[in-house]
Amino acid sequence: MPAWSGELVVFGFASALALVFALLMVVVKTPVRSVLSLIATFFGLSVLAILLAAPFIAALQIFVYAGAILVLFLFVIMLLNLREEAAEKDDRPVQRTLGLLVALALGGLLAGATLRAPVPPRGVPTRASIPVPDEIPALGRLLFSDYLFAFEVLSLILLVAAVGALLLSKRRFE
Amino acid sequence: MTGAMPGVAPMGVPPGAFLVVATLLFAIGLAGVLLKRNALSIFLSIELMMNAVNLLFLTYARMHGDLSGQMIVFFVIAVAAAEAAVGLAIFVALFRTHRTLDVDKAALLKW
Repeated sequence: MPAWSGELVVFGFASALALVFALLMVVVKTPVRSVLSLIATFFGLSVLAILLAAPFIAALQIFVYAGAILVLFLFVIMLLNLREEAAEKDDRPVQRTLGLLVALALGGLLAGATLRAPVPPRGVPTRASIPVPDEIPALGRLLFSDYLFAFEVLSLILLVAAVGALLLSKRRFE
Repeated sequence: MTGAMPGVAPMGVPPGAFLVVATLLFAIGLAGVLLKRNALSIFLSIELMMNAVNLLFLTYARMHGDLSGQMIVFFVIAVAAAEAAVGLAIFVALFRTHRTLDVDKAALLKW
């Protein structure tokens, strides 16, 4: 394996994209810019998913996350017109530094732990093994055999969530 | 679908690199949760943390050569969609009653 394969270049670019825009999401003040940065992060993440032999998840990330969930966020932000809140002054330097320190400590801890964790042994080939040229048919077969019950429960959860969201946003709390 | 592990071609990128990126993204999301005051921004940071965990799942699925990790990510994304719908509806209701999304001002259930 050459030291500088094309895969490595793509990985570097995608992860840099994801990390930079994730940082930007935390740093910027207005929610709209946060959402847009997060969309860019998701594009980087979906490239990483393709590198990990998960093209279906990559497509799902773009369609569902960037296309549906974050657009929903944008709708709500524009519906509520949060602009005047964005300029609010932050008056808590202690909590700010403490939060930053905790996040840094946890990040370092997790990175150390994941790097030090023993690499799991390759499992025996099962029905769930990843067949690289056509992962998606295998994923579909798995979804509608071993995970069929979870899939049906999931559709129920989505239905309940839709009804609940409708109820929550319609009723007036007086 | 049997045979000599058809799927586990050698990875061009060491898996540890993916793990580090995932943990960094998780830490950034945590920082967002801790530092932001706007409920929407906190929610966005939580979404980022979930995606960091998804990346971790995908990496381990690739290391094992096992599709179950990708299956879990599929379910996480679907549940995240449901969660986003309910969460945003709550924010809309909160904004109707309090005229704000600042989590410090909506602290009725805090203590």
